[in-house]
Amino acid sequence: MKSIRILAIALLACIVLPGTLSAQLYKSTYFNVDWQFNGIVGNDFANTPSGWGMNFEGGRYVTSKIAVGLYASFHTNNKYVEPQVLELSPSSHLYTDQVQSVFQIPFGALLKYRFVEDSMFEPYVTAKMGAMYSRMSSSSQVVEFYDEEWGFNVQPEVGVSIFPSSSNRTGIHIGIYYNYSTNQSQCLLYNMNGLNNIGFNLGVTF
Amino acid sequence: MKKAIPILFLALAFIACQKNPDFNELSSDLIVYTNYDKSATFGEYQTYAIPDSILILDDKEKPSYYAADDPRTIAIVRAINSEMKTRGYIEVDNNADADIGIQVSYVKDTNTIISYASTNPYWWYGYDYYWPGSYWNPYWYGWGPSYAYPISYTYTIGSLIIEMIAIEDANPTTKKIPVIWTAYMAGILSSNQMNINRTVSGIYQAFEQSSYIRSGVE
Repeated sequence: MKSIRILAIALLACIVLPGTLSAQLYKSTYFNVDWQFNGIVGNDFANTPSGWGMNFEGGRYVTSKIAVGLYASFHTNNKYVEPQVLELSPSSHLYTDQVQSVFQIPFGALLKYRFVEDSMFEPYVTAKMGAMYSRMSSSSQVVEFYDEEWGFNVQPEVGVSIFPSSSNRTGIHIGIYYNYSTNQSQCLLYNMNGLNNIGFNLGVTF
Repeated sequence: MKKAIPILFLALAFIACQKNPDFNELSSDLIVYTNYDKSATFGEYQTYAIPDSILILDDKEKPSYYAADDPRTIAIVRAINSEMKTRGYIEVDNNADADIGIQVSYVKDTNTIISYASTNPYWWYGYDYYWPGSYWNPYWYGWGPSYAYPISYTYTIGSLIIEMIAIEDANPTTKKIPVIWTAYMAGILSSNQMNINRTVSGIYQAFEQSSYIRSGVE
């Protein structure tokens, strides 16, 4: 509930503030603030898609179509697993249900190319590259196993920014991305040799 | 350096954004952990003894027990007896006649630490009244358990611990009694009281995931 409230306030601020501060003052810059829906692919651990995340990015157009900037996002994927017996070692066994969780924070630099400029519809492609912090955990009633790792992150993205008019630069942003990082984690009996994600962002751009 | 401060705050803010798992999903079920000494010859043991009381681990100065006529003791001992007899073991009344002993403890009111490894040979640290060797043999005063596998846990309030010791293999030189099997279960409380049905389910689960416990089979 708290997260939803923070998300709502952040989105509201992003809609209202640009109008009051006049985005035209920074015509060559842009910002995206998005709600994020993300699913882990290629691994059974915490692979339930969820909308518990946000994406932030901002950049400056160095030419009329190419921008460079920074990005950061966070996301949590949780998955409940029914009770089962886990063979922790040849002699030890654990019967438990568990909630598997993966929390990710990728951040770094980006290069963006928009196909048209100063239009109501601005489709684009973005290449993001940087680092990623991840926390892989398995929680049961009385114990939590977890592993925190860092890795290299790349994230290609395609999307479109939609504006009310060619002159009003406060609009809606929709993007679809693939996210890969080199994080290698181990938790209980589960291993993740790299993290693959697919998701989309929906938010405001100004 | 000053420029790094807002970045640090931003990083902390992001980390605080993690969506916590819904632990309510977990509250209805047990966690049962078992471990055993791989060198133990469970098939060679034939008889066992089990106390008619359950040791309570709490903050009191003197040890206390759930007595033989306590419904919790009756249910727990009955469940263990049922499993042991199904697996071919014969219960005996006299500890001296038993090949193995089964001691049951309930962590009621304390966070008791058991820690045992080759580099850290302590068990039931801070609790002096854990099942003494003299319970199993009046002449074994000062004898203690010996674990073949490393253990390091903080046992939380409301958990049950069952240990199987090899009386037959007690070592008079080292004064150690081998612990050949440990079962630990949590999630047996409801309304801060031991839930007998859940506890018995945990005992059955502990034996179910320990198929090596069987007399006459190697």
